[in-house]
Amino acid sequence: MRALVGVLGLLLGLLVGASTVLLNPLAWMRGLPPLSSEIGPFKAYRGEAYRGIDLGAGSLLRAGRQDPEAALNDPALRHVRIAIIVLPAGAGAPAALAVKVSAAAESNSLWRAQLGTNDYWNIYWPGEGSIFATGYSNYWAVTRDGFFAVLGGDFDGARAAGYPVSAPPPPGSAAGVTGAAGRYAGFTGEIRELWYPRAGNPRGTDPDWAVAIKANPPPVTAR
Amino acid sequence: MKRLFAISFLAGLLVVVLATTFWPLPTHLRYRSLITVPTDGGRQEEFVIRWPEDRIRLPGQDRSDLPATAAVGAAVLEDSAGQRASAELFRLRDADDNVIGVATRLAGTGGAIADPGRSASNWLLVIPSRGALFLAQTDVQDATVTEVPTADGPVVFAQAQTAAFWAERQRLLVTANAPATTGSVTTGRVVRGTSEFEGLRGSFTETWALDEVSADGSTQGRILLATFTAAGN
Repeated sequence: MRALVGVLGLLLGLLVGASTVLLNPLAWMRGLPPLSSEIGPFKAYRGEAYRGIDLGAGSLLRAGRQDPEAALNDPALRHVRIAIIVLPAGAGAPAALAVKVSAAAESNSLWRAQLGTNDYWNIYWPGEGSIFATGYSNYWAVTRDGFFAVLGGDFDGARAAGYPVSAPPPPGSAAGVTGAAGRYAGFTGEIRELWYPRAGNPRGTDPDWAVAIKANPPPVTAR
Repeated sequence: MKRLFAISFLAGLLVVVLATTFWPLPTHLRYRSLITVPTDGGRQEEFVIRWPEDRIRLPGQDRSDLPATAAVGAAVLEDSAGQRASAELFRLRDADDNVIGVATRLAGTGGAIADPGRSASNWLLVIPSRGALFLAQTDVQDATVTEVPTADGPVVFAQAQTAAFWAERQRLLVTANAPATTGSVTTGRVVRGTSEFEGLRGSFTETWALDEVSADGSTQGRILLATFTAAGN
């Protein structure tokens, strides 16, 4: 009886402690404001052509086992994800070919509700131009909702339809869009990303990511 | 009993506090940076990619199903006007041959991108422990990869991986030494850097160097990315 009481107390303490850490209010205060849907509409895509980590809590906490088919085994690439993405045409823009590299952020901190990746994009519109973009994605809210969903008996995980994962970069990281080639050379702007964890079912076909980009031409200067 | 429950409850809280404080979150392995500082300032660093072994195969791509000259970890997007963009994924090595990060090469042709017969390419170099470098250049020729339909589905070919491409040379400087007349891409330019590379600007060159031609018509070689950067250039 004494052992049972001890185990129950310990489990309750773990549960209350983990819940308190996960409910850190900083996670709600740290998201980036969305871009205007007229200026930077979201483009949804299915991000399944990737190698490396799966961006789940297990990978970001270094607690899960990686899919051996997808894992990058070089010691310097253990916490990296690399993908080729086709962004569909729409909203006045043609289809684009893109690559996205995500690396677990070394500045992550469980006390600061930061569990994310530094993301790097290069997007190429055939015949038009290209941009580079960089940002920080925080998966804390996804982890938190997944934890409480499992506690509630919903083993499908996170509940929200889409998570705005883009967050202000930690000190030492950078965010923004930089034009590279063609008519976008010199442009600057912002990037936002949405993740739909529920659409990530390997057998599904729904888009599981969306990205929005706003970029402005360089200012005109008088000579 | 109440006292035991309270003590074990506090022990549970303490475990969470300790785990939250000391949990070993991911860090990236860092190799010593191999940077040369020229006498007149700036910093030079050379990166190496070996083909075909440094190409990053995507899930579902079985190398044994493909022709020997095919490229894995690559994709092509072409519009109805024949304007093409291609993407390639690589491991990135330092001058000592350590894999230190990943590199992607996106190249495009046509329209506002490049003159006819040429392409413009972007390199994204990500060294997880150090940051990223964004490079852009006009290519001396069309350096995109191409997609060929086959009975087993589309197959991507890279010129440098075929023996015929090297019939009259052993090396090719891919970076154009004069800017394109179309668009605004220049010869090799370091557009931007992040983290440790933040604030650096400069130039780079891309060179393809042939190492070996195999009997099956495929090749092995190196892509050499030589960067020269300085703060705020």
